[in-house]
Amino acid sequence: MGVETLTYPFLFIAIFFESFLLVTFLSKPARASRAKSIAPTAPNVAVIVPVWNEETTLAGTIDSLLALDYPAEKLSIILVNDGSTDATPAVIDRFAHHPQITALHKENGGKFSAMNLGVEHARGAELIGFLDADSFVAPDSLREIVAAFDASRVAAVTASMAVHEPQTFMQRMQYAEYTLAITLRHVLASLNGLYVTPGPFSFYRRSVLAELGPFKHAHLAEDMEMAMRLQRAGYAIGNAIRARVYTKSPPTLPKLVKQRVRWTTGFLRNILFDYRDLIGIRKNAVLGMFVLPLALITIGGGIFIFMFSMTQILFEGLHTLSIVQAAPLSYAFVWRPFSWYDVPATAPELLGVALLVVTLGWMVVGKRLSRIPGKLAPNLLAYLAFYWIVAPLWLIRSVSDVARGARTTWR
Amino acid sequence: MTLFTRNLLISLGLTIAIIGTIAFAVNYLNSARIADLSTIEDQISIDTLSLDTQFSLLEATPCDNATSSVTLISSLGDLGNRLSIAESQLGTNNQQVIRLKEQYSLLEIRDYLITKQIATACGTKPATVLYFYSNAGDCADCDKAGYALSYLRSTYPTLRVYSFDYNLNLGALKTFIAILKVENAFPAFVINGKHSYGFTSVADLEKQFPKGALATSTSS
Repeated sequence: MGVETLTYPFLFIAIFFESFLLVTFLSKPARASRAKSIAPTAPNVAVIVPVWNEETTLAGTIDSLLALDYPAEKLSIILVNDGSTDATPAVIDRFAHHPQITALHKENGGKFSAMNLGVEHARGAELIGFLDADSFVAPDSLREIVAAFDASRVAAVTASMAVHEPQTFMQRMQYAEYTLAITLRHVLASLNGLYVTPGPFSFYRRSVLAELGPFKHAHLAEDMEMAMRLQRAGYAIGNAIRARVYTKSPPTLPKLVKQRVRWTTGFLRNILFDYRDLIGIRKNAVLGMFVLPLALITIGGGIFIFMFSMTQILFEGLHTLSIVQAAPLSYAFVWRPFSWYDVPATAPELLGVALLVVTLGWMVVGKRLSRIPGKLAPNLLAYLAFYWIVAPLWLIRSVSDVARGARTTWR
Repeated sequence: MTLFTRNLLISLGLTIAIIGTIAFAVNYLNSARIADLSTIEDQISIDTLSLDTQFSLLEATPCDNATSSVTLISSLGDLGNRLSIAESQLGTNNQQVIRLKEQYSLLEIRDYLITKQIATACGTKPATVLYFYSNAGDCADCDKAGYALSYLRSTYPTLRVYSFDYNLNLGALKTFIAILKVENAFPAFVINGKHSYGFTSVADLEKQFPKGALATSTSS
């Protein structure tokens, strides 16, 4: 049995997952979710913006909130400065006199503490949302979010995140990745399979937050921890696919790896140490017996397939290099007529191509349904060129950090 | 049945259908390759018959410029390349591949012998390389040697390269190896009758040919 045989279970699981996505995407709950129209009612809403050293983006974030298509008297914005050391306090104070805005300053205590202070000041709100200070919302987003709170069981609603003005290759890669995440979140939310309510524009019922208690440090993944807490309590987490929020994404590889290690270690530490009971939970079989086990398998499988591919590429590459050196280099570039006869086609290779095509298809679906702006095609190229190499970097680092008990930092 | 269970079952069916389709596609491509091997088999049969006929004709004809420049089998190299690809795709143990290699080896031996006979009759000195390789894992440089010979063949069209799998279980080949006294060391070359073993570089290989034996264009 060759090592490549070990890739078969992962390929089977991946095809099975893609098939499940398709079937669920076409199922009634997902169709109903897509068919929802903008909410006619406008409950009292508070949006909390926890800020730490975001002097360059904060004003844009606040402007986008003030531009929301929502009755001003029903929308309050709470800015919480978490002990910033740059010009953030001055930016906040510039908006402090706006009738919709409450400006708060506190000692640095971590994002979760700033969120909790904001919740304390959102007394009159029925729904409480959060927006990272490096993110910007589309004007109709809030109405889309409110529409998704259509059942009392829905305790939280997530938005569709997109990369704000991608410039670098890393940002372009993330743009494509985020469009895939939009579809995934939409489909899994239709069966209540979400385990994270991301920082950019996730909303909660105030009553549920009061019942479940404040946000926690939660291994720097307070959004995952709160989502897991909601799931453990039997609530549902919805998704509003047309509620668009644009976020600044890490522009360089080191910054991206840092961010993703924080996310991945946060997931691993929360699920393995604090919420292990959710794995296999029958009360929510979609999450417990499908989504969470698959998320863990994806981390292990991603690392294995990467190591396997790199080993193959290295050995094959060195072998080819040594052969090519046996004759003048120009001979390697002599045109040889193409023939299908020469194309290697094994089952893993064809399954891999099929998976890739389906994944790209989901990205197109995510972009079209959420109506996020920008061109997908050039960003797809960056995704295809880099993602398979860089994603395993943070997966390996995260597993290593969790195994060694290494401390994760925010920036 | 819950929606989740229903979706899981449909997804399982879909997964089996997708994997089944891909297995069918792989099988189809391999069948196409095997069908192509049949074409090679036909080509070898025709070439063998052609060679026999040429052999008879040349025996009866005195040597002249026309016969000395006769190309025996122009597609020998091409056939070898396609067989090599088939071997890498279908495996060295594929029975059809082994049978074809045996037929191909016979064709090569016949071609070599008739080339030699014409040379003797006409007093010419064609450049020939007999190359013996092994797939048994005991030849680290065989891939390099094969690549270098492909280069030489494309650079010097008059050069005739004959490649043989040393371990092929074929009586004629074993006799051929015994007569030539080729040792069990790889890669092995017999260049215009001289033996050499191992591969260092294409330049070293070129040096083993008699001066002027390699021409960069075919004679007309």
